[in-house]
Amino acid sequence: MAKTKSDLLQGTLDLLILRTLELEPMHGWGISQRIQQISEDVLQVNQGSLYPALHRLEEQGWITASWKTSENNRQARYYQLTKKGRDQLAEEKANWLRLSAAVARIVGVA
Amino acid sequence: MGKLRSIFRYLFRRKHFENDIDRELQYHIERQTELNMHHGMPPAEARRQAALTIGGMEPLKDNCRDARLGRAIEVLAQDLRYGLRVLRKNPGYSLAAILTLALGIGANTAIFSLVYGVFLRPLPYRDGAQLIVLNQTVGADKDDAGFSPIEIAAYTRQNHTMQGVVEHHQMSFLLMGKDMAERVQTSVVSVNFFDVLGVKPLLGRTFLPSDDDRRAGAVLVMSYKYWRSHFHGDTSIVGRVFTMNNIPHTVIGVLPPVPQYPAESDVYMPTWQCPARSNSRNIANVNFRLIDVVFGRLKPGVTVERARADLEVVSRQTQAAHPEGYTGLSHFAVTAQPLKFDLTRHARTPFLILLGVAGFVLLIACANVANMMLARLLKLERELALRSALGAGRGRLMHQLLTESVLVAVSGGLLGLLVAPLALRVLVGFAEEFTTRAAEVRIDGPIQIFALALSLATGLLFGLAPAFARWDQMESLHQGGRSTANRGRQTLRAALVVAQVSVSFVLLIGAGLMIRSFSKAAREDPGFNPARLISMRASLPLFRQTSVEPFRKGITDLARQVREVAGVESAAITSVAPFAKVLLAQGPTHNEFEIEGQPLVAGQPVPTVDGRVVDFGYFEVMRQPLLEGRTLNDHDTESSLPVAVINSTMARHHWPNQSPIGRRITPDHGKTWFTIVGVAGDAREYGLDHKTLDEIYTPMRQNGGFGNVLLVRTAGDPRRMIPLVESAIHKINPYIALDQVSTVEDLEYESMASPRLMTILLGLFAALAVLISASGIAAVMALTVRQRSHELGIRMALGAARRSILAMVVKQGLVLAGTGAMVGAAGAIVLARLLTALLYDTSPRDLATFGAVSALFVGVAAIACLIPAMQVTAIDPLQALRRD
Repeated sequence: MAKTKSDLLQGTLDLLILRTLELEPMHGWGISQRIQQISEDVLQVNQGSLYPALHRLEEQGWITASWKTSENNRQARYYQLTKKGRDQLAEEKANWLRLSAAVARIVGVA
Repeated sequence: MGKLRSIFRYLFRRKHFENDIDRELQYHIERQTELNMHHGMPPAEARRQAALTIGGMEPLKDNCRDARLGRAIEVLAQDLRYGLRVLRKNPGYSLAAILTLALGIGANTAIFSLVYGVFLRPLPYRDGAQLIVLNQTVGADKDDAGFSPIEIAAYTRQNHTMQGVVEHHQMSFLLMGKDMAERVQTSVVSVNFFDVLGVKPLLGRTFLPSDDDRRAGAVLVMSYKYWRSHFHGDTSIVGRVFTMNNIPHTVIGVLPPVPQYPAESDVYMPTWQCPARSNSRNIANVNFRLIDVVFGRLKPGVTVERARADLEVVSRQTQAAHPEGYTGLSHFAVTAQPLKFDLTRHARTPFLILLGVAGFVLLIACANVANMMLARLLKLERELALRSALGAGRGRLMHQLLTESVLVAVSGGLLGLLVAPLALRVLVGFAEEFTTRAAEVRIDGPIQIFALALSLATGLLFGLAPAFARWDQMESLHQGGRSTANRGRQTLRAALVVAQVSVSFVLLIGAGLMIRSFSKAAREDPGFNPARLISMRASLPLFRQTSVEPFRKGITDLARQVREVAGVESAAITSVAPFAKVLLAQGPTHNEFEIEGQPLVAGQPVPTVDGRVVDFGYFEVMRQPLLEGRTLNDHDTESSLPVAVINSTMARHHWPNQSPIGRRITPDHGKTWFTIVGVAGDAREYGLDHKTLDEIYTPMRQNGGFGNVLLVRTAGDPRRMIPLVESAIHKINPYIALDQVSTVEDLEYESMASPRLMTILLGLFAALAVLISASGIAAVMALTVRQRSHELGIRMALGAARRSILAMVVKQGLVLAGTGAMVGAAGAIVLARLLTALLYDTSPRDLATFGAVSALFVGVAAIACLIPAMQVTAIDPLQALRRD
């Protein structure tokens, strides 16, 4: 049975990236893989929006980037949450929970 | 901080940034390829699929760059560079655009500074908005009645709405130092005058309540201007003693350089020091209304309306207590208005007209630049279409055109700021004719912000014009930029030109009306001969004199001695010189009188007349013709029958179709009867643009007053005679102070200063507007010719005569101009009415003006069309056909 794939809601990509980076610093490809795995292939990250999003988050000062040796022994650009990023993540999480609870109530699931 | 570093890195460590993106995306593709191979794809296919997940590499990188703040700055810098390059490449276009805007913005900045300084800038006094001016008026025309000391005391003590009430009247006294005698304009004021205005002294102190006392000794406060000009800013002036009215006066302070209200004076003194104001008989007389200005400061939160009602109550109480002061006064009323309004009431109409006109000129300039912008856009069409096809977003292109127009506008604005001070110097002189606030006009912070905002706004306004004009990129490419099909844009350009032409037409009508009115006024006969005539006021150093007799004798002797001076033909005495500044400022007086045999009827207006006190020989020196009877002579003395000469307007007014000679009139309800012995021609003493009023001339020795103005008719150049006459008088008595010395021709010229300046300004603006519109028409026609050269070439190849093609092009231009002129004429009929107050003997719908302006316009438009149309003749049919 094929799993239904969902498009990412506007703005949720930022939340997903920040949440992924909360666990450990990661490079762009790793982030997309991680999101796909954890969502059990429901969420597919479009590469065309992932990298601009990473640049945007860096410009906001929520994440920083640095070159590090990756798990397959090559140089990769690793992203890391900053203190500001952690605060932002907490806020976005709370927003998301409020939003999804509200949607769930209307849809009649909860 | 992090953001700044990031912007810096983006702009100046660009290589690192690009390198990072490349390596990052490279890494992504490698990992994806490995993953794909792990799922069993052959290597080539794995790599292809991996690249596909990324999509277009360049757009993705561009999106990453767009996420950076530095990007916006980079784009702006690019556009600016490109804009500057374009402007440099089209110097004609750029110069025309920048210069038109500079003129438009410069003119607007200058006029706005004027309006701001006069109307908007807060008064330079503490809480200026609380200051109100009181007025007592009589008669249906609301003539100023002035105030008597009794009335002022009542308003001061009995009002409930004001914190302070102060009075002011101006006298002219002799100030005598060790070796000098000078006539000084003296403000006689309440001791709390400066406290109510909120003016602090620059040196020393202003008046204290204790100065309001004879025993404290007489004191003076000097104006800043007088102190600078006569004492060179000497700080030891405080404490110096001068003699005035024969008693010592001590200077106690100097005012700061604030505009003086209500009048410019040299020195200020408390009321008791003015002999007329402090005379005990005058103080007790409610009819002694010497004081012309009374103002006060409202208590916090009190409105002008409440103060008015309050003042009316007080006035009714005074009228009940002193009924003798109000018998025979019709329509007596008291009112009040904000000081600011009072200071600027004469300036309102001319300034607002100028502001409107300057705004119009700027609009025309904007339309012109928008038009040039559209023309440029047409030339660029192919380039833009190409760039658009290659993927440049429409927003990006708009951004770039907008940058270019803002660049032009801001350059124009900065240049305009350089032009403005020059224009302002002329304008301040103009403003001084209307208000004392002109001294406060300058270009400072708020004005510069205004100018820059104005240029930004115009930049955006005409930068948006291309946005109205949509371009179809494919069509443009196909047509090879020959674009004959974009009718929309042609219509827009035509509409812009029509709008320009119509606005310029309105301005030209306004200027035309002013010129016509001015030339009509300037051609008026003054009714006397001002050539070779000098006027000067002579003040005799006579003090402690309680009667006018010594003054009369002194001035009569002086006139006789002046007649002996070599180069003087004749001399006479009058109370005020024709066209004198004081005369123009104060306007005619309305002295009530009764005609023998025509008793006053209650409810009917009392006849009034403006009067001069003159000496015998006056009409002869003035060369004012005598129409009937005789002039005044030296047999008209205290002991002979009182006589008067009237002017012909008065004669026609009261004795139509009959002779007034021998009729008698009385100014004092029958106590004195003056017999009319002569009728003189009308003289326009209040300025050539003022119709003559009823005028009466009475001999100095019979009417209880005296004149101190000498009129001297010279044989040669009057300007050269002035110093000779002055030194002759000072040889007779060095303590005679002479002021208001001028030739009457100069006074006549100055009396027309404000209509002359208004005419010149409107004329200049209209000329500017016409010039800009003409260049607009020419530009549009030039473009039409260029665009249609292909079609015109075919026509010529098919045998059309060049002349008929020329005519066709010119006709097209004239249709535009004609349409604009018609719209303009309709607008002018509506708008010219605003000028009515400034026009002399000219209807705002004056046919001659409309006709002349239309003719001028057609001529200018024809020339503007003809120049580009001439290019038609340069078209080589073969070339035109072959051209791309």
